[in-house]
Amino acid sequence: MNGLPMYPAYFTDMAGSLLIIVFSFLSLRYAYLLTKKQPDNFLWGFLFYFCATLAVFAISRAMGHLVKQVLFINGNNEQWRIVAPFSGGFNTLLMTSLAAVTIYYHKGIEGYRAIETKARSLKTANKKLKRTATQLYEMNLHLEEMVEDRTRELSASEKKFRNFFINSKDMVYFCDAEDRLVKINASGLKMLGYPISDPPPLTLHDIFHNEDDLDKYFEEIIANHFIKDLEVEFAMADGTIINILLSATAVYNDIGKFIGCEAIAKDLTRVKTMMSQLASSEKMASVGQMAAGVAHEINTPLGVILGYSQLLMDDFPPKTEEGQSLKVIERQTKTCRKIVADLLKFSRQVESAKEDISLNEVMTDVLAVSEHTLGMDHIRVHQDLAKDLKPIVGDAGKLRQVFINFINNAHHAMEEQGGGELFVSTRNLHDSMKVVATIQDTGHGIPDKVRSSIFDPFFTTKTVGKGTGLGLSVSYGIVHEHGGIIEVESPVVDKESGEIRPGTAFHVILPAAMDEPHVVKE
Amino acid sequence: MTPFMKINKILCLLLSVLIVYPGQAWAFQSHAAPEGIYVHQLAHIFFMAALCYLFWDIRRSSFPDRGWRFLQMFCVFMVLWNIVTFTGHLVGGFIDKGTFVTESGYFSTKIAGPINMTKMIYYFAKLDHIFSVPALFCLYLCLRSLYKASCKEEKA
Repeated sequence: MNGLPMYPAYFTDMAGSLLIIVFSFLSLRYAYLLTKKQPDNFLWGFLFYFCATLAVFAISRAMGHLVKQVLFINGNNEQWRIVAPFSGGFNTLLMTSLAAVTIYYHKGIEGYRAIETKARSLKTANKKLKRTATQLYEMNLHLEEMVEDRTRELSASEKKFRNFFINSKDMVYFCDAEDRLVKINASGLKMLGYPISDPPPLTLHDIFHNEDDLDKYFEEIIANHFIKDLEVEFAMADGTIINILLSATAVYNDIGKFIGCEAIAKDLTRVKTMMSQLASSEKMASVGQMAAGVAHEINTPLGVILGYSQLLMDDFPPKTEEGQSLKVIERQTKTCRKIVADLLKFSRQVESAKEDISLNEVMTDVLAVSEHTLGMDHIRVHQDLAKDLKPIVGDAGKLRQVFINFINNAHHAMEEQGGGELFVSTRNLHDSMKVVATIQDTGHGIPDKVRSSIFDPFFTTKTVGKGTGLGLSVSYGIVHEHGGIIEVESPVVDKESGEIRPGTAFHVILPAAMDEPHVVKE
Repeated sequence: MTPFMKINKILCLLLSVLIVYPGQAWAFQSHAAPEGIYVHQLAHIFFMAALCYLFWDIRRSSFPDRGWRFLQMFCVFMVLWNIVTFTGHLVGGFIDKGTFVTESGYFSTKIAGPINMTKMIYYFAKLDHIFSVPALFCLYLCLRSLYKASCKEEKA
């Protein structure tokens, strides 16, 4: 081989030098971007210094080579001899620096590794924590949803029972082990007559009228843990007694200790009254039928006796003994016929003509007849007749008889005590098409034991000769015939003051007439 | 007398002798011509050692990113470049000026024959950019890859 041409080496040298500068600066750029992104990262810091030193080394070396090539091409070899030591010196210096930077990496990387290990463990711990937090959050979310669902259900249930408690028309109460009523609904307070807004503290002893009922209540509660349909009497705030149907359940705590009871009480007073009235009306109906039968049977013989006695009276002069006896027979027979007529009226077997009449006029007529007699016995009459009283359809004559009976009874009740006051009033019942006429006295009242018998035929508390015991029976029959009812109040409770007064009040409640006037013949 | 005082006394005595009998002065050392190339060669060795260490440490650290593998490749190429250049400098010492023949201009320069091993090695060493350019390219790829991985991690 004659020789090796150097030009490939020269070209490689120049091209390589340029490429080295380009790549070193591209590397430096990315190293710079890395340090900018994460300034605290030691590795990026190291790479940046490494690349920076390498870039300077690349410039130093590559530029040296390029300058050399340029000078040699131009034939300035001597100049290169001056520059060469500087270029070589710089190259050596920068190569040493590059090595020093690389060795320095050794120290830094240890610290970095320690930090990295800690960071990695922290990162792992953080990940675990995050995962746990996510799980916890999901559980919490689920728990919240569950709690919300339960709360909603509980709220709905609570609302349902609260509504039942508030809106129940029966009394619902809860009492504790010391018999105190800890909670009672508005209907209960209303039933007992206590204010709803601020009721006083109550115990079972306050509301039970009979101690025996209360003892029975506790006996059953303790024995059976519940009470079903116990009929008791409750005392209202004003002392009025009401009939109650009571059901209760004992309440126990977690350890089985009795802590109270919850109960529902139904007011049976109205039902009882209705049942009593029903029984009474049935009794009266049967008595009426019997009376009607008896009256019809007696009426014919009485007619015969009266007829024959009047025929015989024609045969005997009145002054004779026979004439006198026949007169007595005639009089007594007429009395009997009157009783029979009354019995027929009671049993509604007598015809009556009904038309639109004013109850006020009937009352006025009756008072006009009776007022003088009443005054004689120091009985003061108070009239309170409603001016706008609705008319009724009825037989004025029969109704007069009804009110005369009531006034007569009042008169008898008060004359024994040497006088009194008679209140006569009429009024419309606003909530129904009815009118009420009230005859109230201040007499001795009706004893409880005879109250249920006052409308029975021939029942009387008067002395013999003062009454036949048919007055109230006849009145009952007439009022019933008019589609009305009679309410008896004895003693009387004043509606305004609530005061209880001695005496009796008869309330005759009759249906008001329709708008069109009419006449009915029965 | 304490040992410290004894040493002080000896040092003072030696200093006095040197001042009184100066002889050849031991001042700065003068550096002869080959020292520069020795320093440069030592720098190559130092740089090579540093690159070997970096290669080993990256391998030991087991960094997961692909960029670190490019850095390892950079180290390998640069070590090869160091070997080549070191050899080139070494062989250069055995090449005479008369070895290069220029006929018409710089680009016509040749290594005159006969071509022996020394001349072949020198010629090959002159092509050291065959190693340094790929090394720098690997470094560029390394940093670009690390930057992209960093961006990706940040997004994640």
